[in-house]
Amino acid sequence: MDKKEETVIFPKNPNKTYGLMELTKTKSFQIEKGPDNTVTSWPHLLFRELILFMGVFIALMIISMVFNAPLEEQANPSNTPNPAKAPWYFLGLQEMLAWAHPFWGGIFVPTVVTIILILTPYFDTSQKGVGVWFAPERRIANLLFTIFIVLAVGLIVVGEFFRGPNWQIFWPWNMPSPH
Amino acid sequence: MKMNRLWELLTNNRFYKSIFRHGYPDDEIKRSEVVTGNLFLHIQPVKVHKNTIRTGYTLGLGLISFYLFIILTVTGVLLMFYYIPSIERAYNDMKDLEFAVSFGIIFRNLHRWGAHGMVAFVFLHMCRVFFTGGYKSPREFNWGIGVILLILTLFLSLTGYLLPWDQLAFWAITIVANLIGTTPPEKIMGASLRQVVLGGTIVGQNALIRFYVMHVVVLPLVAAALIGVHFWRIRKDGGISRPAEE
Repeated sequence: MDKKEETVIFPKNPNKTYGLMELTKTKSFQIEKGPDNTVTSWPHLLFRELILFMGVFIALMIISMVFNAPLEEQANPSNTPNPAKAPWYFLGLQEMLAWAHPFWGGIFVPTVVTIILILTPYFDTSQKGVGVWFAPERRIANLLFTIFIVLAVGLIVVGEFFRGPNWQIFWPWNMPSPH
Repeated sequence: MKMNRLWELLTNNRFYKSIFRHGYPDDEIKRSEVVTGNLFLHIQPVKVHKNTIRTGYTLGLGLISFYLFIILTVTGVLLMFYYIPSIERAYNDMKDLEFAVSFGIIFRNLHRWGAHGMVAFVFLHMCRVFFTGGYKSPREFNWGIGVILLILTLFLSLTGYLLPWDQLAFWAITIVANLIGTTPPEKIMGASLRQVVLGGTIVGQNALIRFYVMHVVVLPLVAAALIGVHFWRIRKDGGISRPAEE
């Protein structure tokens, strides 16, 4: 479209401080595309959230219909199971109790890990690789965190599946009954 | 055609319009009113960046954790109608839930597996945030809140672990109590912490009521408040982390 046509469609008005600058050819208006590459929460976000809720609920319902929650004998302070185990998420700590004075594994390590986790973003201040899974610029940070995960999960697995009576190491398929 | 008429009948009346003041959300203004006009939705922004809804980015892990928290709250309240935190009654109430109460076993199973799931998903959510660098400035503070929420989740799960009053519960809590007792100096600090947690020297009635109150009132309230802060801070810190735009 040349200048002449534009002035026909949108004549210049000397009483106005604004006027048509330019007409450009595009496919359509910026429908579904906000100025910052955004979309409206309804329906794009909220619909996905609803679907996810239904998925979570159905999955949990199926698990609950297939597997029953454990319930052992009534609590009996005079009958100590061997070994007695903490809930699985604390088994990493219980595993460490066997190595040194319980204070180190049970209090010191979790406290230090918590403090390090909370303070990490105040030391790791580089903005490179934000928003990307396993960004190569963040190789060292990701490696350190992976080591942390492997240790945490590994200790839990050892405590849950490889520790038997008197906290001795057993193969899971060789595990004596705890009672 | 018939569906349209039914829709018209249901929505084109004063009652419906008094609840949902906007019409069918077919333009941007009405779509924004869906969010801003709803108490439960308005913690979310009207518009989100496209990266926010990319399933492969967040994997929905934080939201799954939150949903499990909601399911746990609802099933937990239902279980409270039948459970009495007394060492004489508690175990029998569990048996009743299993064999006598209608759908009792389902609610207990939902609560138990939901709790394990929440611990796992909060942890996975933390891993996601780390591996995508989401904890970095300006989101440092919200990462800290998240770490505290993980610890709260662990304690919520732990305090609930004692309530069935079976062998599993009793000895697991005995171990954790002994662990707390090793805080140095052991004779002063450790012993008194253990005393505070158990309300005595062994896991007994005092410990049960303490764990119960923590489990059903104190920790859920603190967690709910911090979840609110956590969500609010996502918006204040500029939405969910995303790659820098070119």
